Amino acid sequence: MTDIICPLCGKPNPPELDECKYCQAPLNASGFLAPSDQEGQENPFIVSSGDSDQSESQGLKPESTSPLEQAIPDWLKNTEANFLEGTEAKPESQAPDDIAEQIDSLLSQPSTPDNGVQPDIDDDWLASLLAEAGGESSPLSLQEEPLDEKEVPVNADLTGPSVEESNGDEGVLPPAQIEKPDWLTGLEASSKIKVEGEITPSEAFVIGAGVADTVESADTGSMDIPDWIGKIEPEETPSDQEEPGPQIAPAELPGWLEALRPDDSVSATEPVEDLSAADVVTAGPLVGLRGVINAHPSAIRARKPPTYSIKLRVTDEQRARVEMMVALLADEQKPKPLPSQPVLTSRNIFRLVIAAALILPIAWMIITGSQQVPAPQPGEVPGVVDFTQQVQAIPAGSPVLLAFDYEAGFSGEMNLAISTLINQLTIKNNFMTLVTTIPSGPALAESLISPSTSLEGNPGSYSYYTNLGYIPGGTLGLVGLALSPKSVLPYSLDGVNVWQSAPLDTVATINDFSAIIVLTNDPDTARSWVEQVGPVLKEDGTPLLIVTSSQAEPLIRPYYEANPSQVQGMVSSLAGGLAYGRSVGNIQQNGEWDAFSIAITASVLIILIGSISRAVMKLPMSGKKKES
Amino acid sequence: MLERISQLADPIGVIIGFALTIMVLSYLIGDNILFRLAISIFIGVASGYAAVLILYNVILYQVLVPVIQAITTGKVDNLLTYATHVLPAVLLGIWMLTKASPRLSRGGTPVLALLTGVGAATVIAGAVRGTIFPQVGASANLLNIQTAPEELSRLVGWFINGLIILVGTVTTLIYFKFGIKRQEEGVPAQHSVILEYLSTAGQGFIVITLGVLFAGVYIATLIALIDRIQFLWDSIIGIF
Repeated sequence: MTDIICPLCGKPNPPELDECKYCQAPLNASGFLAPSDQEGQENPFIVSSGDSDQSESQGLKPESTSPLEQAIPDWLKNTEANFLEGTEAKPESQAPDDIAEQIDSLLSQPSTPDNGVQPDIDDDWLASLLAEAGGESSPLSLQEEPLDEKEVPVNADLTGPSVEESNGDEGVLPPAQIEKPDWLTGLEASSKIKVEGEITPSEAFVIGAGVADTVESADTGSMDIPDWIGKIEPEETPSDQEEPGPQIAPAELPGWLEALRPDDSVSATEPVEDLSAADVVTAGPLVGLRGVINAHPSAIRARKPPTYSIKLRVTDEQRARVEMMVALLADEQKPKPLPSQPVLTSRNIFRLVIAAALILPIAWMIITGSQQVPAPQPGEVPGVVDFTQQVQAIPAGSPVLLAFDYEAGFSGEMNLAISTLINQLTIKNNFMTLVTTIPSGPALAESLISPSTSLEGNPGSYSYYTNLGYIPGGTLGLVGLALSPKSVLPYSLDGVNVWQSAPLDTVATINDFSAIIVLTNDPDTARSWVEQVGPVLKEDGTPLLIVTSSQAEPLIRPYYEANPSQVQGMVSSLAGGLAYGRSVGNIQQNGEWDAFSIAITASVLIILIGSISRAVMKLPMSGKKKES
Repeated sequence: MLERISQLADPIGVIIGFALTIMVLSYLIGDNILFRLAISIFIGVASGYAAVLILYNVILYQVLVPVIQAITTGKVDNLLTYATHVLPAVLLGIWMLTKASPRLSRGGTPVLALLTGVGAATVIAGAVRGTIFPQVGASANLLNIQTAPEELSRLVGWFINGLIILVGTVTTLIYFKFGIKRQEEGVPAQHSVILEYLSTAGQGFIVITLGVLFAGVYIATLIALIDRIQFLWDSIIGIF
C-alpha cells in the first residue's frame, strides 16, 4: 500500500484521496508535484511499505535521491520519520551520508578555532551536570584520544535509525530497546527541554551542542564524558565559520507548524510550483501571467459611478400623511374666525341702556343750554383763589411761560380754564412763551391760543406769544430749561430767534419769567415740573401755577397745600375752570355744568341700582345654598 | 384762493371731527370696523405728527439752524456756544444710533449707560429735593400751633384735617412695613397687635386714595363725553 504524504501537514493519506483527510490540502493536483514524479521517478512523498524493506537493506544512496528530496531539510525528514514511527513500520536503515551529516551537525555547532587551541571555557556547570548524570568526569581529551566512529553508541532517540544503520554490523534495535545512558537520563530529567518519546532534530541539535561543549570542556581534564561521545572524532570546523553565540533552546513546535517551516536550503528563485497546468490570465493588468488569480475585466473596468436620486422615496400612504400634516400646520397659521355673536345680547342691551342713561340727560342739558345748577364759586374749589391772585399779580407785559403738557382728550375738561387764563394774560398784554414736553403739545397750544388772541382783534400777532415747541429729553430737558432756556429752545417753531428780541432778550434763566403756568393732565408731568423747576423758582419767588384735570388733582394737591406751598395756585377740572371764570367775571357756560351735574347724578343712580339689583339677585341664591 | 381754503378748513375739520367722534362712539355696540379705523387713524396721525415735529423742531431748529446762522452771520461766539452746548449732545446722539445695528449695538451701550445714569440721578435728586423733604416738612407742620387759625370754628376743622392727614400718613407707612422681628423657636412670627390695627387703618386710607383716583379718572372721562356731545351739537348747529 502506498500512502501519499500531505505536503502541507505531512500526514499520510490513502492514494485514492485527492485531498488530505486531515487538512484538506490538495494532494495530486497541488503545485507540490515532485519533478521526479513527472519524470517517472518515485515521489519522495509517496512512501511504499513494500519498498521500505528494500530501502532498508540497500540503504539510501545519495545518487538515488531527487533534487527535491535533497532540498528537504533534515529536520523535516526527521519529523516525517518520527511521525511514521507511530503509524507504520519505522525505516530501520538510513543512508550513511545522512548519518554522517547528522553527526556533523551535532559536532559542528560549537565552532572551534582553526589553530586547534581550545579556548578555556568555564563549563563547570556542565561538568557538574554530567557528574550528576552518573558519569565521572574524565580528563579525556579529544586530542589525546580521538573518538572512534564505529565504537560510538548512538542513541536511537538522538540520531534515529540512520545512526544505528551506520554501524553496519550491529543489529537494528527498536527504539524501545535502545537503552539510554544514565547521564542522558539524568540530563533529560534536569533539562528544561522536555524529551518525550523521541527527540526532535532540533532537540538533538541542542543536545549535540551540549555534547560538543562537553568535549571541549574535556580539554581541561576535569570531566568524564561518555564513551560514545569520546569515540566521535571531532570535525574540523571551517576557518571562516564564526563562533556561535549562546545557544537558545528552541521552542517545542507542533508537527504541522514544523512542516510549514520555510526551507532555507532551497533557493528562493527555484520554482516550487508547477504552473504549467495553471490558467493563463487573458485580460486585465495581469494578462499573460500564469498561476495568479484571474481578475475579471468587468471587475476592474473603469466606469462612471452610478447616480442615485436624492429624492425621498415615499409610499403613497406616507405621502398622504405628509399632506395631512401640512394641511394641519397651514390651518394652525390661519386665524380662526371668532364665533359670530348676535347683536342683540343681554350684555349689549345692558350696555346700551347704561349709555342711554348717561348720554340722553347730557344731550338734553346741552341742547337746552340749561343753567339751572349753580356753578361753583371760586372759594369752593381749592386753589382757584390763589391761582387768580397769582395771575392778577403778574406784571403787565412781562413774559410768562406756559407749558402745554396735556393730551387733546382732556381739552374738554381743561380748555375752559385755559381759555380764561389766556384771555386774562392777553388783556394784561403778557408775552406768552409756549413750550411743551409732549409731541402733540405745540399743535394743541397753537389751536387754543389763536382763537383767544383773535378775540382781542390781533390774530397772528407775535406780540402776544411765541411757540418754542417741543422740549426733548423729558425730565432732563426740564432741568436744562430751568437752567438755560435759551440753550434748550433757541428758536421758535417759526424759526425766529426770539431770545434776541424783546421781551425775551432779558430772560436768562427761568426765574426771569413772571410766572410758570403748567397745563397738564398727568400727575407725573406735574411732579417733574415741581421737582425739577420748582426749587429753581423758589430762589426768586417766581410762582408755579398748575391747571390740571380731575384725575391728577389728588396727587398735585399736596404740593399746593403744603406749608410752604410748592404750587402757588391750581385750577383743576371743570369745576375749577368755572370757578376761575366766575372769579374773573366770565359766568358764561353752555350747559356743560348742568350736563356734568346730571351725568354725575345718573352715574350714582346707575351704581346704586346696579348694586341693589345685584344684591337682590344674590339673596335667593344664598338662601338655596344655606338650605342645601 | 388761500382765504377761501382757510374758510373751508374749519368746516372740513368739523366734519372730520364729527365723523371720527361718531366712529369712536360706535364702540357702544361692540368692536367694529369704524372704531378700529378711527383708532388706526389716530395712531398714524399722532406718530406722523411726532416724527415731523422732532425733525422740524429739534433737528432743524436746535441743531442745524444755529450752525447755519453762526456761519452766515460770522458770529464766532454763537458757534462756540453751540459747540459747547449742542455738539456733545449731537455726537452722543449719533453714537447712540449704533444701537440700531445688532452688530454694533454694544458700541452704543456707554451712551445708554450715561443717559440712564444721569437720568436716574436727576430724578432721584429732584424727588428728594422737591418731594420728600418738602412733604415731610409739610406733614410735620400740619398741627403746628403757630399756623393754626385764630377762629375757633376754623381751628376745629384745621385740627381734624391735620389729625386725619397725620394718622393717614403714619398708618399708611406702617402698612408698608413688612419686616418682623425674629421670635423664639416654634412661635410663629407676627406683627404686634397694635401694628396690625394700624396697618389695617393704613390699608383703609390706601383704598380711599385709590377710590379718589378712580373717581377723578371717571370724572375726567365723563367730562370728555360731555365735551364730545357738545361738539356734536355745535357741529350740527353749524352745518345746518
